[in-house]
Formats: sequence, structure tokens, C-alpha cells
Amino acid sequence: MNSALSRRLAFAGLFIAVTVAMLIPSEGDVRVAPETRQLYEWIDSIPPGSQVIVSFDHEASALPEIRPLALALLRHCFERDLVPIGVSLLAEGTGIGFALMDQTADEYDKTYGEDYAFLGFKPQFIAAILSMGESIPATYPEDYLGTPIDSLPAMVGVTTYDDVVGVLSIADGSMTTHWVEYGEARFGVPIAGAVTAAMITSYDPYLASGQMVALMGGLRGAAEYEQLIGIGGGGSRGLLAQSVSHLYVLAMIIIGNLLWWRARRRKGKESV
Amino acid sequence: MIDWGTIIAGLLTLAIFTFLYGDNPIYRFAESLLIGVSIGYFLVITWQNTIVSLLIKPLVSDGRIGLIIPLGLGLLMLSRFSSRLSFLSRLPIAVLIGSGAGVAIPAMLDARTLRQIDATIAPLWTDGGLAIGTIVVVLGVLTTLAYFYFSRAQTGSLGRISQIGIYFLMVFFGTTFGYTVMSRMSTFIGRMEFLLVDFLRLTQ
Amino acid sequence: MRRKLPQIIVAAVGLIMFLVYFSGHPTAQRVNQTILVDYWQIIFAFTLIVGVIGFARSNLQQIQRGDGRFFRIVSLVGLVSMPILALIGGINAGSPFVWMFDHVQAPMQATVFALLAFFVASAALRGFRARSVPAAILLLAATITLLARSDVGGATIAWLPETAEWIRAHPSMAARRAILIGIGLGSLTTSLRILIGIERTWLGSER
Repeated sequence: MNSALSRRLAFAGLFIAVTVAMLIPSEGDVRVAPETRQLYEWIDSIPPGSQVIVSFDHEASALPEIRPLALALLRHCFERDLVPIGVSLLAEGTGIGFALMDQTADEYDKTYGEDYAFLGFKPQFIAAILSMGESIPATYPEDYLGTPIDSLPAMVGVTTYDDVVGVLSIADGSMTTHWVEYGEARFGVPIAGAVTAAMITSYDPYLASGQMVALMGGLRGAAEYEQLIGIGGGGSRGLLAQSVSHLYVLAMIIIGNLLWWRARRRKGKESV
Repeated sequence: MIDWGTIIAGLLTLAIFTFLYGDNPIYRFAESLLIGVSIGYFLVITWQNTIVSLLIKPLVSDGRIGLIIPLGLGLLMLSRFSSRLSFLSRLPIAVLIGSGAGVAIPAMLDARTLRQIDATIAPLWTDGGLAIGTIVVVLGVLTTLAYFYFSRAQTGSLGRISQIGIYFLMVFFGTTFGYTVMSRMSTFIGRMEFLLVDFLRLTQ
Repeated sequence: MRRKLPQIIVAAVGLIMFLVYFSGHPTAQRVNQTILVDYWQIIFAFTLIVGVIGFARSNLQQIQRGDGRFFRIVSLVGLVSMPILALIGGINAGSPFVWMFDHVQAPMQATVFALLAFFVASAALRGFRARSVPAAILLLAATITLLARSDVGGATIAWLPETAEWIRAHPSMAARRAILIGIGLGSLTTSLRILIGIERTWLGSER
């Protein structure tokens, strides 16, 4: 098969498989991975009224995967009456984080400034993490909207990491690593991560060593979390399509190998 | 009421997807627009959240005169546009590099090296018997490190040990590949959900 | 002096940052905070602005030369439109600036990444071959991982998820840990080389 044709066939097959799977209504429970349960239990164990930093460390490119994860986690936080304090180590995470917090806060009748706050973006992630450890008000004299943070009730008593229960980093790259390496290592603040599936294996050593308190990720992780909190969302909706796409890629690998073996055998026979 | 936002987002999404057929002017238009808008967004957020919040307001409203030094250093960065004066930009870069290197030494030593070595050192025999998982981890860490040891030729026993390290690396790459597939598919599914549900309204 | 002074600054700032990292003394905290916020973040913000100016300059030059003029103009219009919209309506939820982000930037950026799904599928068909034992191990690990995270209509192989979790938590994690230790030691030595002046590539050309 010529390479342009095989590529277009692979493209078309994926497009059809995912579209059909998305048009089929799917329901049912999924097996919740222990890592997802661990994050759920960590958030569930935080006393109501506690402040937790939610760091939107991602760009718009990962939004389809990050959005369901972030919504599920924020809903759990608001459900538990926690006080999320949003920050962002990447510029694009700022607009997304603010919109997601705004949307979920509305669902739970939470008031900006009292029940949650959004401090916004600071460049140079290492400097931002380290300086927040020394003083959050000095790093963020104002919130995202330009309001002095000392006038926000949600920020009362929050000076350093000692005054929050931990950091929940929602990331599509290596930003959670910096939270672990500078936030946890230097200041001992507990770090939990909700990351894209592509990044999850990179963080496994930190979870195993106890440098992270919890870690989950991907659309599948979002579906599992949605099941735990009992509120459906993008994760659950995309689950069938996700499974079908995995099987499609596996089928591609098998077909590719079968074609290769056949070609190799043919070549071997010809050379004999 | 017509939802122009969804229509524009849908058309731009389709414009990007046309790249699957091949590079074309519609895709290049969308790509150029994306680059410009992204940089514009980045500029506004950096200006608002850093230059205004950490520099202009404290300098003008609070009279923190000391901020003139970082302002001056920051402005020296602009010397990069002059071939004659570009050497001046080394001064602010030196502050950035020096701070980064200074904080990286303890952080790398602690978080990446010592804590990870510490977590590897665990009992191989517990009350429940042989700790298979721990043995695999210790073996995996040591053999993979042997593979990355380039000060000696990878022959003889070192070669055999590092060969085992390669197998462990392949397991890691395979697992990561699996999760990467999930990630890419999730992104595609997210865009398809937008097209089918919000843009085309073919399903709920 | 053009090279000496920056090296002295690197060594001095690096040493200060290294020392204050270990101290909780109020003076050390103040010094730390000053360097982190007043210097590091502000200078870094200027480096980002330099990048933006560089982008605009290079586009303008190419427009003058006539290289891809239309697409360069589109990029520049996109670049200029965002600050203008922010000036007119602010950056609050519901502002034109946020509207542009939500309906122009975010959908396109996510779609560019979604294209990768197709290239992954194509690579799976044309590139992943079990040509050797290591390649076969890679494919096997990938297959177990993908199958374990797929269940169509609740149908899944009972032992598979736990096997996949064990693989991820042990052999896979061990290799990643060794990589981390290696990167940690590498970053440590590079930082030390920069501070003591052995590593000078960051200074650029000899001029």
C-alpha cells in the first residue's frame, strides 16, 4: 500500500470510529483506579473552609482533556465548601482557570472574593513558586481583576503555604514537577496533581516517594472522578469514544505488524 | 439568537482540521491568526499581571524607588535589537541565570536525587515475604542508571546490566506511549464533542 | 568587562540564592523575595516582551520583502487586536478580549493538538514494528496500558487493570526514577559549572 494512501486511510478510520462512538449514547460505571480514589480521598479529607491553591498550569491546547478534570475537581472542592485560590504559572491557564472557577462557583452559589479567589498569572514559574512560599501577598499584591488581595475575605489569613492545605496543580506539562521540586522540597507544602494522560508516567516517582500526595489524569481519570462525585461531565461522555480510539490504535499496530511480517517473509522466500 | 462565537470557533476548528488533507491556504490563515492572537494574549496577561502589578503600581503609587534597578535591567533587554549594544542584555540575563542556577542546586539535589534514592532504599524482605515490587524497582533503577553510565564502554558485565536497563526503559516508554495515545485521543474527542454537540448540534 | 561583569553577577546572585534557600531568617527572606519578585519576575517579563517585539519586527520585515505577505498581516492583526480589545473592554469575564480567547485562540490551539491523534494512528500503522526484543517489550507495555484503560460497555479483562497498574508502579516507575536521578545530577553539575564560570555558552558570541 502506498504511504500517502495508508496514512489517509488511517486518518479516515479514526475519524469515523470516534464520530460513530460519540453518536452512540453510553452509560455505565467505570472501574475507578486507585490513584483517582487517592486524590478524591485527599480532597474529601480537607476540613470545610480551608484554603487550597488550585494552580492552572496548562495551555489552551490541552483544554479538551484539562477541562473535564478541572471541572470535576472544582465541583468537589465547592461541594466540600473548600476555598479554592486560583493561580496560574502559564499565561493561557489564566483565562481558562478564571472561567472554570467562575462557572463552577455559579453552580454552587459561591461568591467571588468570599468563597474563592483568582490571583492570576506570574511569569517564571520557579520564581513564582518560591516567592509565594515567602509571601503570597507580596507575589500577588492584586488578584486577576486588579483588586488588592487584602480586601478579599477568601484571602484572610493566607500569607504563605503554611496557611493553605496544599496545592492542586492542574497541568499539561512539567509544571507540577516544579511545584514538587520547589514548593514541596523547600516549603513542605503538599502537592496533588491532575495532569494530562501523556504526562502522568513522568510523575510516578514523585507519587511513589511521597513527594506528591495524589496524582490522577486524563479524560479517563476525569470520568472516574465524575463517578466518585456523582456528577457527570465531559469525562463520562467521551469514555466510549476514548475506549474505541484505544482499540483503533491497537488494531493499527496489529495490522501494521502483520503487513510487515508478511512482507518480510515474502522477501525471505525471494532471497532463497 | 445566532451564537456567533460557536460559529466562528467551529469554522476555525474545521480550518485547522483541513491540514489532515494537506497544507493549504485555509489552514495557513487559521495558523497565522492563531499565532498572532496567542502572542497578543500572552503580551496582555504578562503586562497586566506583572509589569503593571509588580512594577508600575508599586513604583508610581507606593513610591518604591528601588524598583528602578529591575526596571533598568529589564529595559537593557531591549538592547538585543542593537548589534552594537546587545552585550548589555547580558546583565539582566546574568541575574536570571544566576538566580536559576542558585536555587536549582539544592532543589535538584534534594527533590530529584536524594529523595528518589531514599525512596528506592526499602526492605526487600517484609513480614509478607519477598517484596517482589521493591526488588523490581531496585533492579530497574540500578540497571537503568548503568545504561546511562557513559564513562566506561558498555561491554562485558556493564553491557549485560545496561541491556536489562534498556528493557526497563522500554517498559517505561511503552507505558508512556499508551498514555500519550490516550491524551491525544482525548484532545481529538474534545474537539469532536464541540463540533458534534455545540457546532453541528447532531447529538446532546 | 563585557563578559567578566555578567559572570560576576551570575556568581554573586547564584551564591546569594543558594544560601538564602536554606535560611528562614527574616533578612534572608527579604533578600529572597526581592530577588525573586523584584528582579527575576520583572526581568523575565521584559524578556517575554522582547520576544513579542522580535516577532513583530521579523513579520514586518518579511511583509516589506513580500514573503507570505497576507499571512504575516493576519498574524500582526491578531497580535495587535488583543491589546486593543483589552484596552477597550478589560480582561474580565465577558470582555471582548476573553471572547477572542474563548472562541478564536482556545478552539484553534486545541484543534492543532487534536491533529496529533491522527498522526499517532498513522504512526501506529506504519512505524511500530516488533523488530527486536526491546521493541516487542515496548509494544507489549503499550498494549497492556491501552487495553487496561479501555472498557467498551463495561467489558474488560478482570486482571488487566491491576497488571497495568503494577507495571506502571514498578518497572516503568523504576526507569523513570533512574532518568530523574540522572537529570537531577546533570542539572546540579550544569548549575555549578555556570556559577563557577566553566559553562559560559549563555554569554553568546565573543563580542
